Amino acid sequence: MLEVRGLRVSYGAAPALSDLDLDVGAGELVGVVGPNGAGKTTLINTLAGLIAPASGRIGLNGTDLARLPSHAFCAAGVAIVPESRRLFSAMTVRENLELGSYLPRAKAERARSLESVIALFPALASRLGTRAGSLSGGQQQMVAIGRALMARPSLLLLDEPSLGLAPAVVETMFAAVRRINAAGVAILLVEQNIGMAMELASRAYVLEEGRVVLQGQAAELMGRPEIRKAYLGLE
Amino acid sequence: MTFPSLGLLSQSVLSGLFLGGMYGLIGLGLGLSWGLLGQINLTHFGFVFLSAYLCYHLTMVWGVDPLLTLGLLVPAFFAVGVVMQWALARFRVSTFNSLLVTFGLTVMIEALIQKIWTADFRKLQTGYGEEKFSFLGLYAPLPELLTLTVSAAAAGGIWLLMRYTDLGKAMRAMAEDAPIAAAFGVNARALALLLSGSCVALAAIAGVFFALSFTLTPTQIFSWVGVVFAAVMMGGLGNPLGPLLAGLVIGVSEALAMAVFSPSWAPIVSFSLLIVLLLFRPAHR
Ligand SMILES: Nc1ncnc2c1ncn2[C@@H]1O[C@H](COP(=O)(O)OP(=O)(O)O)[C@@H](O)[C@H]1O
Ligand SMILES: [Mg+2]
Repeated sequence: MLEVRGLRVSYGAAPALSDLDLDVGAGELVGVVGPNGAGKTTLINTLAGLIAPASGRIGLNGTDLARLPSHAFCAAGVAIVPESRRLFSAMTVRENLELGSYLPRAKAERARSLESVIALFPALASRLGTRAGSLSGGQQQMVAIGRALMARPSLLLLDEPSLGLAPAVVETMFAAVRRINAAGVAILLVEQNIGMAMELASRAYVLEEGRVVLQGQAAELMGRPEIRKAYLGLE
Repeated sequence: MTFPSLGLLSQSVLSGLFLGGMYGLIGLGLGLSWGLLGQINLTHFGFVFLSAYLCYHLTMVWGVDPLLTLGLLVPAFFAVGVVMQWALARFRVSTFNSLLVTFGLTVMIEALIQKIWTADFRKLQTGYGEEKFSFLGLYAPLPELLTLTVSAAAAGGIWLLMRYTDLGKAMRAMAEDAPIAAAFGVNARALALLLSGSCVALAAIAGVFFALSFTLTPTQIFSWVGVVFAAVMMGGLGNPLGPLLAGLVIGVSEALAMAVFSPSWAPIVSFSLLIVLLLFRPAHR
């Protein structure tokens, strides 16, 4: 479904991604891990249309998104849960969710989507009228995920959904990610919490300095001690 | 200092409200483009005056009813706003530079007005100017009443649009985080064109009502900048109701200061209000 080939992204003269190839199959949950500054956020943002790549192909269900303007990515079926959430903080929770379903196809399903977001995160039910900026970190993350789901994506891009959250909330978040994937949405998950990410993902990519240095079945990568130590920073 | 009668005070308050309506109407488009597009568009004042002179010309030379000139001026000015936004985006003009560029444009508009209509005082002579309503011993001239009504209707209407329509929500989202709004399908470039066009169209509306109520002279453009800026900043950038509410407060304070003290007090009042407000308002953003 997602087919990235030879993707290059740079900030000015500094390259951030070089010749990156990556695939996500329909309904698959794929993990991306790697040290700070490896280019994970750059990858997610480029796939959501926030950054224009220097070259390469971003094939999604047969169309190449790489040459399209930012606002065309969502219509093609991508939705992003960005790093540090980036909610519209002055707007209410409901307005944030509604903005996720801004495009006509998603808007037609708005009421139903809102119901399923509330079913996924019941804590949001009583917060719909609250300013998004005044929520706790965990609830803000729920809104960020909810906003993306309102777009009815076929591919959900998640950039560190557990960052800065208390362990109990992290559990909630990963349970939600699992449920979303079980409903048929393909997910590309970037995580610092490698143990969790590898447990959820069927396949994973390890990124270092803007390149894929390793990829494979998540269980297989986790099963090899030398890989755990050298690439995943686990004992 | 002699204390004025109650009747005189009430009439002052009323004329303050009318003046505040004008401040609000001029400030509406200025505040929206500042708050939502990040542009400090000084040309807004030039556009208001240009529209006022065009209304004057169409009415006095061609005999068009001043209110009907809106039918021509609003779409024409909308188009100008679209072109201006296209150019500002094309050349990536920053907020600060937008102040300089639009100041230059305003000076050019002023020169153009001088050239076409000279520096003489011009006053629109129409039936509207003669109409006066009186109630409870107070006088309300029709042009001022119309200005206040239109100012309130425009501010209220835009507030409703911003709050309840998807388009309005998209604009607020764009103002806060344009890349993320775009990632959800908001075409930020198109919205910016629409918004800029609307703000300049609002300048055209303000100009027509300005011409109905005030005597025109080109150098006066700059004397409106300070107090309307004060209203926009007091009212909160990007909030459509803000400039009107702040404009009413300023207008009434000015009128009372003039009645109780002397006319020269008016500008001191508006800027004191602004400074006090900026000092004591809890910082947001
Ligand atoms: N906006 C930016 N401008 C310039 N350089 C950036 C920007 N964002 C990220 N970088 C650089 O690009 C590289 C990859 O960053 P990032 O994608 O944020 O990595 P990660 O998410 O894996 O921590 C880093 O070297 C970072 O310093
Ligand atoms: Mg990152």
